[in-house]
Amino acid sequence: MSKFSTYDKYISQEGSYQLLPFRFERLENETIVVTNYVGEFVFLKTEELNDLVSKRLKPTDEIYSMLRSSHILKENGDAASIELLGLKTRTKFSNLPNFTNLHIFVVSLRCDHSCPYCQVSRQSENKAAFDMTFETADKALAIVFKSPNPAIKIEFQGGEPLLNFELIRYVVTKAKALNETARRELQFVIATTLSLITDEALDFCKENKVLLSCSLDGPEDLHNRNRPRPNKDSYERFVDGLKRARDKLGFDSVSALMTTSAGSLSRVKDIIDEYLRLDFDGIFLRHLSPYGFALKTKSYGAYNVEHWLDFYREGLDYILELNKQGIHFTEYFASLLLTKMLTSNDPGFVDLMNPAGLGIAAVVFNYDGDVYASDESRMLREMGDTTFKLGNLHSDSYEDIFTSELLLNALDDSFTASAPMCCDCAFEPWCGADPVFHHAIFGDVLGRKPESEFCKRIMGVVRYLLIKMKSDPQAKIIFMQWANKC
Amino acid sequence: MKLELDDQIYSLEAVQKASYRFIDRLTILISKSKGSHLCEINPVKGTESSLEENLEDFKRELLDQQLRKQIKEETEPARNLILAYAFSRSTLQK
Repeated sequence: MSKFSTYDKYISQEGSYQLLPFRFERLENETIVVTNYVGEFVFLKTEELNDLVSKRLKPTDEIYSMLRSSHILKENGDAASIELLGLKTRTKFSNLPNFTNLHIFVVSLRCDHSCPYCQVSRQSENKAAFDMTFETADKALAIVFKSPNPAIKIEFQGGEPLLNFELIRYVVTKAKALNETARRELQFVIATTLSLITDEALDFCKENKVLLSCSLDGPEDLHNRNRPRPNKDSYERFVDGLKRARDKLGFDSVSALMTTSAGSLSRVKDIIDEYLRLDFDGIFLRHLSPYGFALKTKSYGAYNVEHWLDFYREGLDYILELNKQGIHFTEYFASLLLTKMLTSNDPGFVDLMNPAGLGIAAVVFNYDGDVYASDESRMLREMGDTTFKLGNLHSDSYEDIFTSELLLNALDDSFTASAPMCCDCAFEPWCGADPVFHHAIFGDVLGRKPESEFCKRIMGVVRYLLIKMKSDPQAKIIFMQWANKC
Repeated sequence: MKLELDDQIYSLEAVQKASYRFIDRLTILISKSKGSHLCEINPVKGTESSLEENLEDFKRELLDQQLRKQIKEETEPARNLILAYAFSRSTLQK
């Protein structure tokens, strides 16, 4: 006689399972994606979904154990399902108590470029009135080190921040001194076009481990058209600056970011090829935002979300083909979403955060001492809209700034778990709130999601990623590599 | 055009949520009639897809929303338990 009962003794009785919280969306050809409480997903057919909800599934059905292990159904006595979902929920939100990580210093609004889609209305190069002062920087640093976050990132933005390099030097030196006692994991980044990078600045960056995040829009003609300079030499300066920066700081200390203009739409392969030619190992196919000069010059309205999605899908297909040929190259927007979809990590990308990243993930110190809830908030300010101004460094305390009704209301009102349509959306665990975008377009932080280009863009990209994963096993492996980078 | 929906089959919440999802394509006025929800449906100006196409999608969405409501109601206790467990060791509650 066997010491163990036979297999059929362990199989539960038909119809005895219970549903756990899940949401679903239709993809294509009767395929439905089902996400559990924390965003882990499975694909079902319509019939299978109906069988699941109507309790017609049998333990011997192929999908039964998959749904049970994905915490979409549970049997009586499966106490671990609830506990695991609770644990995963806590992990998902574990960054929240750390509070603000990214601190953006707008050290100057001056710029040597006059990009038609610029999101911060630039001022001419000789107006020192648009530079941050040392006194303002001191007050900003005092706020930075009040954040409880063990990791602090200070990013210098502009205009062109290198036009006020003395202030950057001052802030880095002083932050490092303050950190002798604060003991945070401190990181510095300069967002620059590289057009004005000097050997002296590079020496300083090397000595202080300052990273460079620069701008490259594509091949020379496209880059120069997007980013006009007096001598039409933006690209030439970029390539020269890139080589010198890489030689001095090391290859991985310099990254690049592109912006999609109307002229980019038909040239996604050229743009990706340019990144490959310059030895970048990835690209962020970034859409244009509806702020600043992008609206004034109608660059923002030059294409809609459908055009951008066509551009994005063509680019992603091309990048997947490259990877299949053995060329490791990442699309970073997909990588951010896939990290949320395929792992328990949150990459902390402000646009894809819920509650929104406003203030609690990132904060902006403008050149004049005004404090804004995000980079986009200060872009709105350059259009005359100060809705997301949290205070001023010269008149308000840390407590005034971070407990302002304005900030708390914006976070509360835009919370996706209780927003119309979002609360039922299967993609909600991977998405974000972006109250500034919705305020800019709709005049309220929630907006109407069916009309929202933000919603259409995220839904469009997520759908495409899911369809790829379902239909192309090789693409799924590549995506898993992007999501699980060391 | 008008669509009459049996209120024993479709809840008001499901009809409202389905209508909201189509707000960019269809303007839907919902009113109550004896034993049914009456939907007065007009296309939003400038919408690319046809009214017929949108109506077919809207009917499918009604079923989806009804199903979502059923799942949500059935799983409410589990949702509360998960949240309670997630925050059980935080210092947030007094």
